[in-house]
Amino acid sequence: MDLRLNEDQEMFKKVAGDFVQAEAPTTMLTQQFLKKETFLPDLYAKIAGLGWLGMLMPEQYGGTGLSYLDCGVVFEELGRGPVPGPVFSSGVLAAQIVLDGGSDAQKQELLPAICGGDAIVIPAIGDHGAHWGPETVATTCSQSGDTLTLQGTKRHVYDAGGATAFLCAVRGGDGGVSVVLVDRNARGVTVTPHTGFMVSVSEVSLDGVQVPAGNVIGSAGAGWELLDKAAEKAIPILCAYKVGACQEVYEFTVQYTNERRAFGQLIGRFQRVQDHCVELSIHMDRARMATYETLWLLDEGMPAEAGVHESKAAASEGYHQACSYSHMVHAGPGTDYLHPLMVHSVLAHTLYQYLGTPDYHKRRMVDALYPRT
Amino acid sequence: MDFNLQEDSPEMTEFRKEVRAWMEENMQGGEHLRWSASWSTREDEEEYGFRRALGEKLGKKGWLFPMFPEEYGGAGLSVDHQFVLETELSRYGLNLTHIFYTLARIVAPVLLHWGSEEQKREFLPPITRGEIVVWQVLTEPQSGSDVANCQTRAIRDGDDYVVNGQKVMVGHHLPPDALWTLVCTDPDGKRHENLSWLHIPANLPGVTIQHMHLMMGIKNAVFFDNVRVPAKYLVGGENNGWKVAHTHLELEHGGDGRVGTDPVVDRVVDYCRNHDVGGKPLIDDPHVRDTIADMILEINTVNRMNRRIFWHRFVKQPHAYGGAQFRYYQRMVRLRNGERLQKIMGADALIPDHGVHEVLDFEYVIRSGPGQLHGGGTLDTDRLIFARRAGIGRATKEQAPDTV
Ligand SMILES: Cc1cc2nc3c(=O)[nH]c(=O)nc-3n(C[C@H](O)[C@H](O)[C@H](O)COP(=O)(O)OP(=O)(O)OC[C@H]3O[C@@H](n4cnc5c(N)ncnc54)[C@H](O)[C@@H]3O)c2cc1C
Ligand SMILES: Cc1cc2nc3c(=O)[nH]c(=O)nc-3n(C[C@H](O)[C@H](O)[C@H](O)COP(=O)(O)OP(=O)(O)OC[C@H]3O[C@@H](n4cnc5c(N)ncnc54)[C@H](O)[C@@H]3O)c2cc1C
Repeated sequence: MDLRLNEDQEMFKKVAGDFVQAEAPTTMLTQQFLKKETFLPDLYAKIAGLGWLGMLMPEQYGGTGLSYLDCGVVFEELGRGPVPGPVFSSGVLAAQIVLDGGSDAQKQELLPAICGGDAIVIPAIGDHGAHWGPETVATTCSQSGDTLTLQGTKRHVYDAGGATAFLCAVRGGDGGVSVVLVDRNARGVTVTPHTGFMVSVSEVSLDGVQVPAGNVIGSAGAGWELLDKAAEKAIPILCAYKVGACQEVYEFTVQYTNERRAFGQLIGRFQRVQDHCVELSIHMDRARMATYETLWLLDEGMPAEAGVHESKAAASEGYHQACSYSHMVHAGPGTDYLHPLMVHSVLAHTLYQYLGTPDYHKRRMVDALYPRT
Repeated sequence: MDFNLQEDSPEMTEFRKEVRAWMEENMQGGEHLRWSASWSTREDEEEYGFRRALGEKLGKKGWLFPMFPEEYGGAGLSVDHQFVLETELSRYGLNLTHIFYTLARIVAPVLLHWGSEEQKREFLPPITRGEIVVWQVLTEPQSGSDVANCQTRAIRDGDDYVVNGQKVMVGHHLPPDALWTLVCTDPDGKRHENLSWLHIPANLPGVTIQHMHLMMGIKNAVFFDNVRVPAKYLVGGENNGWKVAHTHLELEHGGDGRVGTDPVVDRVVDYCRNHDVGGKPLIDDPHVRDTIADMILEINTVNRMNRRIFWHRFVKQPHAYGGAQFRYYQRMVRLRNGERLQKIMGADALIPDHGVHEVLDFEYVIRSGPGQLHGGGTLDTDRLIFARRAGIGRATKEQAPDTV
């Protein structure tokens, strides 16, 4: 057992931490989140330049072939911003789907472009409301000759804003789920950003969109398994991002207890305020410990399914709760959209839903550990 | 990072084999015992006898305190050895330092840290070898959380201290050999500068012990009536007791860490596999599965916090707030799990000595839930310490004392 980062990881942490402070300062982020303009092309290009897209991808496809832990360390720092944009959704999740399911030609064509930041490929999976799972895939896909025609509406697509293409989950005539690559500029594709208490989420409608049959990634009908397996590898990286976000929230909350005075003393002297900080720390540490252990399991090639779902539940719930407890400490000022807490608060609510709620992942965790009889 | 608890160096692999074989041999006849709480105030003579004998055997090998020097009853081994021992014992639901009821896990490291050479040679080996039972004796009727308000007096008289006063809620159902006691040696002195620690043999004239029947089991009131304790039994210097208490309380407040795991989830799942409702195994019930999911998330967190503290302690980088955070969380989890057990098992969860409890004493988990919130300091104390260590409302963070 050893809880230390290795030398390389310490360096990644430093570089990524410095990058976030210099390139994504809080004042800029609060403005961007307020305007709901969270895809920042210049920032994304710099991230691509640093090799942080495709960290898990093999070098032959333009990636850097790093370990899960290495990648997690970088994402933890990105989460501290929180640096927005499709670094995870394209650079980790979509890349993994293509790597796991794509033909050689598809990998050659797509992965270097994803890793270089020229292509931004965004998974567009469920059609209905809040949930996650194969039953949410309703977009139809009919084939005629070498052409597929897609019809449906992807209700909540995270990071659709900067997309150059989508990986759409569709249902074929036989009812099976397939994954199809759809160009953002294809006729019939409309992207409508959502308003409300979420950020970086759009509705993507596919109205009679025609794509070549060769755009199917993986075997037709086996799309859900492909998505699920790829998500299992990608999710812990997203969790690391949320852990970093929790860490940032924790730190500025503790700092506030040392600045704000009420009734003639620092608010941190009030035990109730201290209690909020205790709960915040537990949510942060619980997410952190589960996530890093899971990243390690993946690196070691050990069974990680239960750990992945546990981490996702702990990190989504943890980020959400960390923000709630921080709100309790900050009271009025923390509700201002220009306060850094609001950036996190909105994002925590958004990510709570992304790729499955905590309840969904808890059930998956129990199923992985103790299969139904 | 490396979270592996099993894979060892070749040397440790050999050691693990040795420990495993030794445990298999020495656990014979003990497999059926219901290892439940890590320390037990339950009045089960058979279980206690087995645990006590096992403790002595482990102690003879120096394995109860493997990292302690041999002259103090340890085995002079490395943290890796300790790790192997802890994980092997954990396979039986046992915890190295809680084999039987003695507060050696706290008292021994404190003695090692603060005792004089003579005291270490005299007091430590019997404690660390599991030959004697030592209680920690701090709480008084008027001094619980506010332990510095200690009223039990120890006044120097020639070569002795004369002790008078009363302690409450200490020990368990069988008599102790030694009392590790906080006393006031300077009644007119300033708060925090008037206390000392005395190692008091329990058989001295004037010591009376009376059972208290509490929800977790038996605890005791201890009365000191002009008890003459040799002055050389005072540990850490006269009126220096508050400093010694820092080391003591850091260990009591979760700073010791542990690599073993709480078996409660596995046991609940066993139960749910073997019990039906309307012909359907409980384990297939969606509500039961959701409840188990919450238990898993919390218990895994408790285990990981515990391991993290263990690791920080032995690499000598004490985790500042880890102990307090862990203790608060762990005890709340246990309380919540009590309710969850009732949800899953119904009234069966409240019956002791039922067949289903063979593997884990569910009733005890539930019954001790609200009581164990206060042992060694309340939840409020935990959170208060957390705030100091994490720097909430204070510019400087208090450091955790060294405990190895
Ligand atoms: C939705 C909303 C509507 C509002 N509407 C109005 C309005 O119409 N008119 C108006 O005048 N104001 C309004 N306010 C302001 C509101 O009254 C203040 O936010 C509130 O009184 C708390 O003050 P504060 O935000 O400055 O927090 P602070 O007083 O700075 O508190 C910070 C933290 O310290 C804690 N704390 C402070 N003192 C103690 C104590 N003695 N013991 C324990 N903990 C303590 C607080 O609970 C909090 O956790 C509104 C605020 C909100 C969020
Ligand atoms: C299972 C168990 C085992 C025990 N074992 C031992 C033992 O082996 N040896 C021993 O010496 N003692 C032992 N005790 C006693 C234990 O240490 C005390 O119960 C504990 O320290 C609390 O003291 P008290 O019960 O007097 O509560 P009090 O100190 O009277 O506390 C009453 C309430 O006030 C709160 N409170 C007090 N001070 C503060 C503060 N500053 N801020 C906020 N809230 C505060 C408390 O949290 C609590 O809610 C044991 C107790 C139990 C229940």
